[in-house]
Amino acid sequence: MSFLAKHLLTNKLATLVMQLWVIFFGQLIYQESLAQYPEKPITLITPFAAGGSSDLIARVFTAYLNNYLAQPMLIRLVPGQAGQKGTLEAIRAAPDGYTLVFIDNYRDQLHQYTFPNDFYDTNEDLVTVARINYGQIAIIVRETGPYQSWDEFLVAARAGTGQLKMAHSGLWAALFVPAWRIMQEFDLRFRMIPYRGGGPAKAALMAGDVDFSMAFPATVAQDVEAGKVRILATAGPERTIRGVPSFAEIGLAPGTGYIHRIVMAPAGIADDRLAVLRGALQQLQMDKDYQAAMVRLGENLEYLTGPAYELVRRQQSVEYAELVSTLTSRP
Amino acid sequence: MFDMLMLGLNDALRLDTFIWIGGGLLLGMLVGALPGFTTSMGMSVLVPISFLVGDPLIGIPFLIGVYKGGIYGGSVPAILISMPGTGASIATVLDGYALTKKGQSRKALEMSLFSSGLSDFFSDIFTLVMIIPVATVVLGFGPPEIAAVMFLSLVIIAVTSAGPAVKGLIMLGLGIWVGFVGADPFSAMARYTFGTTELYDGFHLIPILIGLFALPEIFNAVKEGDTRGKRISTFVGERLRLQELKNSFRTIFRSTMIGTGIGIVPGLGQPIAAMMGYIAAKNASKYPEKFGEGELDGVAAAESANNAVNGPTMIPLLTLGIPGDSVTALLLGAFMMQGLRPGPTLLESSGNVVFAILIAMIFANVLFVIIGYLTIPLFARVVTIKKSLLIPVTIMLAFAGTYLARSNPFDIITLISFGLIGIAARMAKFDVAPMVMGFILGRELEYAFGQTLALAGDDWIHFAFRERLGMTAILLATPLVGTILGFRMNRFRRRSLDSDRK
Repeated sequence: MSFLAKHLLTNKLATLVMQLWVIFFGQLIYQESLAQYPEKPITLITPFAAGGSSDLIARVFTAYLNNYLAQPMLIRLVPGQAGQKGTLEAIRAAPDGYTLVFIDNYRDQLHQYTFPNDFYDTNEDLVTVARINYGQIAIIVRETGPYQSWDEFLVAARAGTGQLKMAHSGLWAALFVPAWRIMQEFDLRFRMIPYRGGGPAKAALMAGDVDFSMAFPATVAQDVEAGKVRILATAGPERTIRGVPSFAEIGLAPGTGYIHRIVMAPAGIADDRLAVLRGALQQLQMDKDYQAAMVRLGENLEYLTGPAYELVRRQQSVEYAELVSTLTSRP
Repeated sequence: MFDMLMLGLNDALRLDTFIWIGGGLLLGMLVGALPGFTTSMGMSVLVPISFLVGDPLIGIPFLIGVYKGGIYGGSVPAILISMPGTGASIATVLDGYALTKKGQSRKALEMSLFSSGLSDFFSDIFTLVMIIPVATVVLGFGPPEIAAVMFLSLVIIAVTSAGPAVKGLIMLGLGIWVGFVGADPFSAMARYTFGTTELYDGFHLIPILIGLFALPEIFNAVKEGDTRGKRISTFVGERLRLQELKNSFRTIFRSTMIGTGIGIVPGLGQPIAAMMGYIAAKNASKYPEKFGEGELDGVAAAESANNAVNGPTMIPLLTLGIPGDSVTALLLGAFMMQGLRPGPTLLESSGNVVFAILIAMIFANVLFVIIGYLTIPLFARVVTIKKSLLIPVTIMLAFAGTYLARSNPFDIITLISFGLIGIAARMAKFDVAPMVMGFILGRELEYAFGQTLALAGDDWIHFAFRERLGMTAILLATPLVGTILGFRMNRFRRRSLDSDRK
């Protein structure tokens, strides 16, 4: 009897425990379905070293974006392998909206042709959340140097092809690619001198070590004002500085010299989560403090929605493939 | 200019500025003291705070506090557990940890603090006074001059290393070769990577530092056997006496000059300054054989030289808008976020704010010494911890610090590999410091040398004897300096051997 009672009791206890587990997990699943994304901090991988302009922009927009997301967006620096390491880490992360990556168009579209890898294809593996902004490069020379205009510069470059020295900020990076475009379009040769970033490249120009360089106009505004640097042309289809021709005017392709800064998510992210992220970034554009901060940093606010940037991306892919194929096949 | 200076002084003397500097210093010391965290990582995380406070006289001094605190903080694990968190602390390990093993960690930490504070103070005054004249000189240092200075530094390190010069040369060569692993900086072609992507960027500095310096110490401690209840010391150690600090004044002054000179040139940095300061002190000492055995002057030399770099790095940043490294690049961003655009017209447009920041930097050194002094008894207690507890904690810090730096599991393999190299080197009585310096400087020298070749083109004679006389002068002086130092070191080595025999 006692055995039976004990057995029944054990069975009852077991049933009760089972029921409690079912209720507990059912509740968990129910709550999960009701939960509002994001429930925990979002990691934004930036495949750049600390201290660069991209790192700084990421710090600025995430600081203000936290007002429009239920959870903070935290930056995780994963530099290395020309940006491939951080990009790969984002791609390998679960597409649950909790891991994103902040990259530029060169790392997104160009580097697959210049630093080929077998690990990922950004077109297949990443989807655009939004473009934060873009930068337009400018060709710069010393104010006291021999070139007063683009035309004078072009004449000198043609006369002494292979002699003019250009300071750039690294292989296949923001200052390097437009210079290659110029060489391609005008059939020129420059001596490309690498420097670790735009700052040292500008210093080399000011010291007279090189003949020209490239820079984002905001980073040389003071030098232009002080009469130390002259801008010969700026990227884009139209003039952005009075009296200075645009790249389109001097005969360069319209997309030359742009750096697009983009937030991307691993492909396969749920549509509702993507919508939350895109909505928050859209709201950020209206934030006056964020606008003021970007202006102080010398950055524009040329935000582009994810779907709109996807179209730009497809076009870039074709252009970069052609550029790299042409340049690397030249003797 | 004088008016702006006075206005700056007036603006700088604000209580809230100093409270924020104090906060920055404390955070910087903590970040620097944690192996694996670098000053630039700490500053990068704290940049948003600096611009969200919305006042340049709070936000920027706060970040400068983090910078100063971080460089000093790096000396704490270097002295206490032989774990340099950055290249700036390599020279500090040599005598700092030897002092800890003698139970004088408190003395070493206090010497590190006071020498750092004094050199920072004087180099900041130099920055304030000389900002305009020096700005015109900075641009004269391009890749050719940097390559020549690095070559000279490598020669000096090789001939002055501990033990026979040939061993120093072997370790230096090994370090340079390790630095070549990874993508070629000019063509991006992979070298010695064995087809792995992990080595594409080359080895990371932090696991090499921890592996070569800390793991052999851990191995030694474990090898000693019975560690039950054993401590390095039962008390936190004696304080630094005023006379001991006075005895090091000459060294601190010399290292401050070296660090300030190196700080002016963008791209050279603290590791070279600290090592050159240390070597100069060793050469000038009456007892050079004591260096490496726990000489207070060695700590003073390294720490005053690496901290003296901080102030002058602001000169190219403020006057030309050129950041020399990732830390000054972050400061450039912080200035811009406050509506101040570093460059040639900054002093004209916002001179009072710039001078206020520079003056705040000088006063920050007083706070730096006070805060550092208050934290030393806490840090120094490490020596009173039982070895049976300290060793596992040190192992944990070594591995966690390595992983935290880049979150890369491959760095753990690097740590263990270089740990084994460090143990083997110690057994064979090879000094690992030249290897680390070879690793750091070899890469930089290769880059600067490649830039120099590209700049020179085909006409080398014209380039060397017309355009770049500074580079040529340094290169011509290198064999002379190397020979003199080599002879001096050999004399010291012989003297040391003779005294050992007696």
